[in-house]
Amino acid sequence: MRSAEGRGRTLDEAVDAALIELGETRRNVDVKVLRESPDETVVEVVVIDPTAEATASSATPVNGKAETVRSLLEGLLKHMGVRASVQVRVGSDPITLDVSGHDLGALIGWRGETLRALQSVTNVMVGKHLNEGERVIVDVERYRQRREHTVREIALRAARQVKMTGDAITLDAMQAFERRAIHLALEGDPDVTSSSIGEEPERRVVVGPRKPAE
Amino acid sequence: MSVPAAERIRKAIAVVNAAADGAGDEEITPTEIAEAIRDCLELPEIASIPNVRKYLGEALDATSDGMPADFVAMTLYAALGALREGHSLN
Repeated sequence: MRSAEGRGRTLDEAVDAALIELGETRRNVDVKVLRESPDETVVEVVVIDPTAEATASSATPVNGKAETVRSLLEGLLKHMGVRASVQVRVGSDPITLDVSGHDLGALIGWRGETLRALQSVTNVMVGKHLNEGERVIVDVERYRQRREHTVREIALRAARQVKMTGDAITLDAMQAFERRAIHLALEGDPDVTSSSIGEEPERRVVVGPRKPAE
Repeated sequence: MSVPAAERIRKAIAVVNAAADGAGDEEITPTEIAEAIRDCLELPEIASIPNVRKYLGEALDATSDGMPADFVAMTLYAALGALREGHSLN
């Protein structure tokens, strides 16, 4: 797995420095903040290699349950008239199905609404093959994964701003999986805290300074 | 399509989806889901559109029966689809 360390005055500069070294775009990488101070930010940028996963996927046998779920989703898409292939993401827990093909924007919909509906229908269809409480995640063209990376970057940027100003920041309304990505990105930060306010579908994450008692 | 009705159904879907996905800092109870669906059922404009009330009723029953959130969500998507279809026919 390719990775590079980046340094810069800001998070953006540090990430850009690592991206230049790797010759990659933000879309294909995962960012981890190693050190952050008022003068310098150090990040580790790891390239997500879809070809490596695809190779692993063909080499690694997928368990029976995952294969059943995969073929059910493939069948549903066929009935919908969507030309796409479905693969089980290797090592994913819960089972994650990656849908790929051409012009699948309609399958994602506005802010992932159609994708979310597809996931609901898939879970209802495959429910009898799953254990109680077990669910399947559906991703189209890695939209969900990309979105998680994006919101994680937003979270880190917001955290940096909160540390500089001491003021809380309210982010845009997001879906639950996006809010969870933000909470997870910031849970280890000793200086900031995150919480959600408002009602669905306008529920937002607030990133604020962590009080000494917290 | 009736915007207030569509918005209320979308809101109910968002509540159900949030219950299914779980952001980790909240817990949505079946009572909250049922309230969101009842809010949809209160709208007078859905009475004239075939199947919308039926699907909403099914979603409410599914919630009180403890059916999985994805099942409730799918039934609400059906209500939203029926609403859209009803308006395109009118």
